[in-house]
Amino acid sequence: MHEDKWIPTICYQCKAECAILARVENGVVKEVKGNPLAKGKMCVKGMAGITTLYSGERLKYPLKRIGERGEGKFERISWDEAMDIMEKKLRELRDRGEMHKFTYSMFPHSSTDPKWRFVNAMGGFITTGLPHCDSAKIMAHLHTFGCFPNHHIAPIYYSVPKGGIMILAGRHPFGCLDDASVARDILNAKERGAKLIVIDPIFRSEAAKADWWIPIKPGGDAAFFLGMCNYLLTNDLYDKNFCDKWVREGDMDKLMEFIKDKTPEAMSPICEVPAQDIIKLAKMCAQAPSVCVDAFKSIMYGNAMDWGHAWSIFLVITGNLDNPGGQPLPEIAPMAPVEPVPPAPSLHELGYHRTGPNRDKFDYYTFILEPTWYAAQAVKEGTLKVFFASECNPALSEMGSSVWREAMTLKDKQGNYLLELFVVTEILPSETMKWADLVLPDQTNFERWELLYMPWWYTYAHTAAICQPVVEPIGESRHANKVMIELGKRLVPEYFAFKDDLEYYDTELAGVGMSLQKMLDNGCVWSPRTAGFYKYESAGKFNTPSGKVELEWRMYKDLGQEWPSPELPVEFKRGEQEYPFILVNFRSTFLNNTGAWSHNNAQLRDPISGRDRNPLVLNPLDAKKLDLVDGDLVTVTSKTAQVRIPVCLSEKIKPGCAGLIHGFGQTMGKIASLGNWIGDNELIADAGSHLDEQDLRGGEAHVATRVKVSK
Amino acid sequence: MRQLSIMVDLDRCIGCKTCVVACRNHHNLVDHENAMPGNLSYYLRVESELTGTYPNLAEDTWVVMCQHCKKPPCVKACESGAISKDLQTGIVLIDQEKCVGAKKCIEKCPYKVIQFDIEKNCAHKCDLCYDRVVHGHDPVCVEVCMADALSFGEREILLMQAEAAGKKVIKKKSTQSVLYVKNPKS
Repeated sequence: MHEDKWIPTICYQCKAECAILARVENGVVKEVKGNPLAKGKMCVKGMAGITTLYSGERLKYPLKRIGERGEGKFERISWDEAMDIMEKKLRELRDRGEMHKFTYSMFPHSSTDPKWRFVNAMGGFITTGLPHCDSAKIMAHLHTFGCFPNHHIAPIYYSVPKGGIMILAGRHPFGCLDDASVARDILNAKERGAKLIVIDPIFRSEAAKADWWIPIKPGGDAAFFLGMCNYLLTNDLYDKNFCDKWVREGDMDKLMEFIKDKTPEAMSPICEVPAQDIIKLAKMCAQAPSVCVDAFKSIMYGNAMDWGHAWSIFLVITGNLDNPGGQPLPEIAPMAPVEPVPPAPSLHELGYHRTGPNRDKFDYYTFILEPTWYAAQAVKEGTLKVFFASECNPALSEMGSSVWREAMTLKDKQGNYLLELFVVTEILPSETMKWADLVLPDQTNFERWELLYMPWWYTYAHTAAICQPVVEPIGESRHANKVMIELGKRLVPEYFAFKDDLEYYDTELAGVGMSLQKMLDNGCVWSPRTAGFYKYESAGKFNTPSGKVELEWRMYKDLGQEWPSPELPVEFKRGEQEYPFILVNFRSTFLNNTGAWSHNNAQLRDPISGRDRNPLVLNPLDAKKLDLVDGDLVTVTSKTAQVRIPVCLSEKIKPGCAGLIHGFGQTMGKIASLGNWIGDNELIADAGSHLDEQDLRGGEAHVATRVKVSK
Repeated sequence: MRQLSIMVDLDRCIGCKTCVVACRNHHNLVDHENAMPGNLSYYLRVESELTGTYPNLAEDTWVVMCQHCKKPPCVKACESGAISKDLQTGIVLIDQEKCVGAKKCIEKCPYKVIQFDIEKNCAHKCDLCYDRVVHGHDPVCVEVCMADALSFGEREILLMQAEAAGKKVIKKKSTQSVLYVKNPKS
């Protein structure tokens, strides 16, 4: 037996941050598995984390660019030199009074992440790939029933009762950015008599386990749910008691007026779901003890706010808020502040979305972070001069990533890059690193300390977790948090007076009655293990300005967005003749595109244990019309790009759709560069280039793309 | 009795491949530093079957590992006597000391689950985590299964469990020791 030393820590192969155990033998990680003190599960990406840790391609030393940006040529430098380069440039920017032109793109592990603190202390902006994924859901729920503005509150599947309904609308929780225990919890709920309904243009493993798969036209979710709302409201099948008590006065009358023409029959042609199916699901939901809805890819289209709004209204009129099996409304258990707390930049004063012809309209859309996609536009406009990036991969994972890459190379008349310094922290070679001036070798979760505090994250397995190192770091790698703390001590010492990262985390943890030691004693996790239920009853209010559920979004009245439109995104309604296919980009459990390290993991690219290809998925009915057979090489053209890739014919995709995985296409690293695959973002337009078409319907989501396919 | 087994519940297997990687890690089947896709040994693989046409589809996924055959063709094929079926556990074991690398077992295995180690010049495969089960642990794949689709135990007992849960044995898949079950209504 080898099972002598299992050490608790946290996985970081994706943002789900599952609590795990690592078996260490003679200073080497041999095995990993889910920590039974939390939810006890770990996915294939997590299992393959050891391959990332020990990859022969690990970045071991700081690197400095020697060629032009994009060439990927570097030389080894010392940490001292790397720190000096960053310090010098930031001092220069500060002396110029342009600190707001410094941005850090990251996945913050908490609102008190040391990297985020550094940005605020310097007076820069944080940008993140995090909010735009499903920011419309966050904003919609926030506006309607005042949830905490968190990234993603998954339904608590282990609270779904017998007969409860679980709706997955374009969400793939069996292995994509959800806690690894979610698949088990959904299947357990099914075993005790809950129903799983999958609304999705693609039939994936969730649909294979569903009681009912409803293929839908991409972007049709708002119409589908408005059709259900119409049926429930006009047939007296809604939760009248809940609505009478909790919906703001006058809103129900206005909703009735708004919804009256959104009949299932009227909505059916938009979403391409038969009216009788809309009615059938509405009836099922009316009879069920609970309904929960989760969505992800569907809330990234150009009508994302409408869909989020329709979804919110549906939850309200069926009374599925903060109830077992419904939509959780967790509260925050705040970390203690590390005084003095640096002030956040004034988004209104400095400009929130600082680009685009309709930038003023986005003032309504006051989320707490800047979206990453603004970077390319900001470089062109001269409002972004120093850019740091950690745990994100904008060269591949952003919409219109080719525009981003081009922006990195733009020069002024003197031949200087418009973006004066670009620094990337990275574990393995990444596409983004090719454009960097400095590449700092980062550490995997097996080598670093980190406080992970996402009180809202996915499931309630843990709401705070400590990632502790289980082995010595590889090479000279240093965790980005430690690097930024050191840089903070050099540049803004008043905000970095604490000893080190451990003291910082220890102070923060006091806010939830924990300490670093207590966390370690507790298996690295802390959780109240519930989000609670019906808290609005005891509070006597919802967390909205009126204290009631606000169905009508009055703040958007002058924009004509008080109620959700059932219409498809403009991008899908336009160009149908020239670009007949809707691009359906979806996630694979074997790739965390934003986490660039997963691209170069041999086990995740192995055909037996992972995924080694990303062909364009077409329905055979469409292929027949185009005279295509499986494996044919085709040209895929969008308004902004053209690529050549093989097709894969599958009954699993709705005709009229062309499927492509979010990821692939990396050229750095011997594993990632195998095969001539491309990622979805090559075909998707840079969001910042067409903000005038996006407005509030799309929130920050901008992946709606049409393509044509030819031999 | 005397046959330890794994039962694969097709109502729960989601084809996530977590077991494949966990098995590799446990059995040291992967040289993390130098591993290249398409070139890694494995003791389990995921298979699937899609039936129907759009939009009326059904898909099953399951894992295939050594089936620990009742009368193992590999035992018969091995001229050096390196392969045996353990009397007390029913586990088919390859004695790597005796294996001379003739690869006859690989040719004869109907399930194509036997791997070959070029460096050591010997065959190797799933041993139902013999080192774990004799100490009372489940095989690694069973322990880590993300969807709780795998169960471990005496084959006869697993059959009783399946019956109690209303699951039917899929006979054409369960011809040897490993069991594949599914709810007939799903």
